[in-house]
Amino acid sequence: MSLVYTTEQVELAEAVRRFVAERAPLSVVREVAGREAPFDVPLWRALSDELGLTGVIVPAKYGGAGGSVADLTVALRELGAGLVPSPLVASGVLAATALLASVDEDLKFTWLPRIADGSVIGALAVSEPEVEPWVPARPRTVVTGDGSGLRVSGRKSAVLNGPEADILLVHAADGGEAGLYLVEASAPGVVVERAKSIDPTRSLATVTFEECLAVPVAGDAAEILGRVVDATNLALVAEQVGAIKACLAMTVEYAQDRFTFGQPIGAYQGVKHKLADLYTSSALADAALRTATEAADQDSAELVLAAASARALTSPAYVRAAMTTMLLHGGLGFTWEHDAHFFYKNAIAGNVLFGGAAYQLERVATSLSL
Amino acid sequence: MTGLDDYRERARRWLVANASPGDENESEIERAKRFQHALFSAGYAGITWPPEYGGQGLSTDELVAFNEAAADFELPVIPLSIGMGMAGPTILELGTHAQKSRYIPALLRGDEVWCQMFSEPDAGSDVAGLRTKAVRTDAGWLLDGRKVWTSNAQWADFGVILARTDSNAPKHRGITMFIVDMREPGVTVRPLVVATGEAPFNEVVLDGVLVAQDAVLGEVNRGWEAAVAMLRHERVSIGTRVQKRANALGFDNLAELARRRGVTGDVTVRRRLAEAYVRESAVLAYGRVLQAEGKAGIEVGPRGSVAKLAGAELRLWQASVAQEILGPDVALGDPEFDAVALGMVAAPGVATAGGTNEIQRNIIAERILGLPKDGGIADRNTPFNRIRTSRRAGHEAEG
Repeated sequence: MSLVYTTEQVELAEAVRRFVAERAPLSVVREVAGREAPFDVPLWRALSDELGLTGVIVPAKYGGAGGSVADLTVALRELGAGLVPSPLVASGVLAATALLASVDEDLKFTWLPRIADGSVIGALAVSEPEVEPWVPARPRTVVTGDGSGLRVSGRKSAVLNGPEADILLVHAADGGEAGLYLVEASAPGVVVERAKSIDPTRSLATVTFEECLAVPVAGDAAEILGRVVDATNLALVAEQVGAIKACLAMTVEYAQDRFTFGQPIGAYQGVKHKLADLYTSSALADAALRTATEAADQDSAELVLAAASARALTSPAYVRAAMTTMLLHGGLGFTWEHDAHFFYKNAIAGNVLFGGAAYQLERVATSLSL
Repeated sequence: MTGLDDYRERARRWLVANASPGDENESEIERAKRFQHALFSAGYAGITWPPEYGGQGLSTDELVAFNEAAADFELPVIPLSIGMGMAGPTILELGTHAQKSRYIPALLRGDEVWCQMFSEPDAGSDVAGLRTKAVRTDAGWLLDGRKVWTSNAQWADFGVILARTDSNAPKHRGITMFIVDMREPGVTVRPLVVATGEAPFNEVVLDGVLVAQDAVLGEVNRGWEAAVAMLRHERVSIGTRVQKRANALGFDNLAELARRRGVTGDVTVRRRLAEAYVRESAVLAYGRVLQAEGKAGIEVGPRGSVAKLAGAELRLWQASVAQEILGPDVALGDPEFDAVALGMVAAPGVATAGGTNEIQRNIIAERILGLPKDGGIADRNTPFNRIRTSRRAGHEAEG
């Protein structure tokens, strides 16, 4: 794509939209989200086997589809519009990007084909409790031992899809340099504690490592994690743009159906102007997403700035959109029965986790040499 | 190299040779007329217009190619812009053969300047509520009224005007479009001073101005359709013009001033500046998306209002952020901050020009989102002379 989606991408969007409507409508999401583990195994298999989404950005030589970032964001928009709970972002984007950005061919050939076919779920463990930035400059998690038997010890928070993960990519320091280490979730000493997230559609965990056997991921950790931040920003923005559009569509429909004082509420400027503003902010977020996607596919130096800018714009815009959706639905919008609160909670989590507004604005400021 | 690349390159070379500022003593209008004449002689005037009336008869591809080449130059085109962008295309669309022959070649040669008179002191967003009257007499039509926000009227030879020709008809169906000779007795042009102290527009008073029967553009009482056609040309004209205009409140300038004040180390300022970049780049990105979609054949339509609203809201936000970032300096007349001070004061005007934010929101809600019109707007089918026009007046007093 340039800034306009190709025919194939429009078709992919339609296929994913159909899939969401048939297999994961909000009524099903509501049911899955209410469970102890918001993870639907048949749905995950279908995302992989039927839509081939688990390996979209993984090159063919590592067993993936070798698609573009535009293909990925096209699919994520539709999944985000349906709040579909799945480890796709954690595994197919965050973990896959971390491995792809490394120079570790052994690990790539070992794990990427399995991530791509969905048989292995990867997760990224970077944040630490009570440390503000998403990716700390110096992790407190430590690595001990030597080349043949490295051990990781420490505690990581906000690990996306930690409870479902088979492998964890852990940011840790060996006393000198910080690096990235691969730990299998089944290794002795790994304790995964499901976090009670505000957003029931996202599965999060605190993971404690006690002298867990770890394999170093070859490559510059700062550079790898930089890539991961960009990919995370793109993935979340894509989901959020889809979700904003879903909020808008839901509210526009309600504004036409609901009558007060003898006319549809959408006829009142107090309502229609809010919806016009909501449309405008969705259009701007969409444009920012396309610009960042284009930068990613062109491997442009502008990507850091474009992706952080898109995220700094879209995440707060989604919170406002979801809040407006609740408010314009009146009392109904505040009921558990209505879907609006799922979007609002998803928006809040996406605005503060995985690099919130302040983190992104700092990233933008640094990119602009401010 | 394709034919179009070749065309663009030739245009670029011609512009390099001919777009120089020229003589310092030359006035803005003299320079504009001279440049338009040069464009005409070189075959770059009226690129898509019919050769019969002096145009080049080429396609919009050539027009776009020329505009792309022209984007790198600051061209003296403002005095001729209403004629070339609005009056000319409307005359070509609706005018008689006699009108086209009389006005189009002279416009293309740079001999005559045009203005457009739609807005009135009491009819802005609701243009169809205009009150300037045209009464038919044996000698022609007699015009009385007052028009505001008239760009270029101080130089204009002719103007296109909307006037009410039937007060008994509903407001959209009693308006006629005329061509007025701005040198006629009874036409008074005065500068309209705005909040910044500048006078970038005019007001025009018409006191018993007589125009001929054949001055009607289009049909009598069908002036609203003519106005819609003209505004469509205006939008195309603005949309296809790629002009780099410096915005003193833009990110680059605010960041530069903040650096000079040495405040970029402050975390609040840093983040505000980053946010200024984020918001500005999103509005620019949206413009690029619309442009790319337009090229791909996807209709832009009322999404022009989204770009307009987003740009206006950005400018208003920038005006408040400039105060936050630059502090007392913007209020103390320091010449270094003059442009920012002017930009802050001008921001509400920039936001309102071309339609208020409230009108853009109505357009977005009704034409993009498909929401119903406000039931309170009930004057569409009411005879104009029965419409209530203010809190004091019950309705238009005269019939």
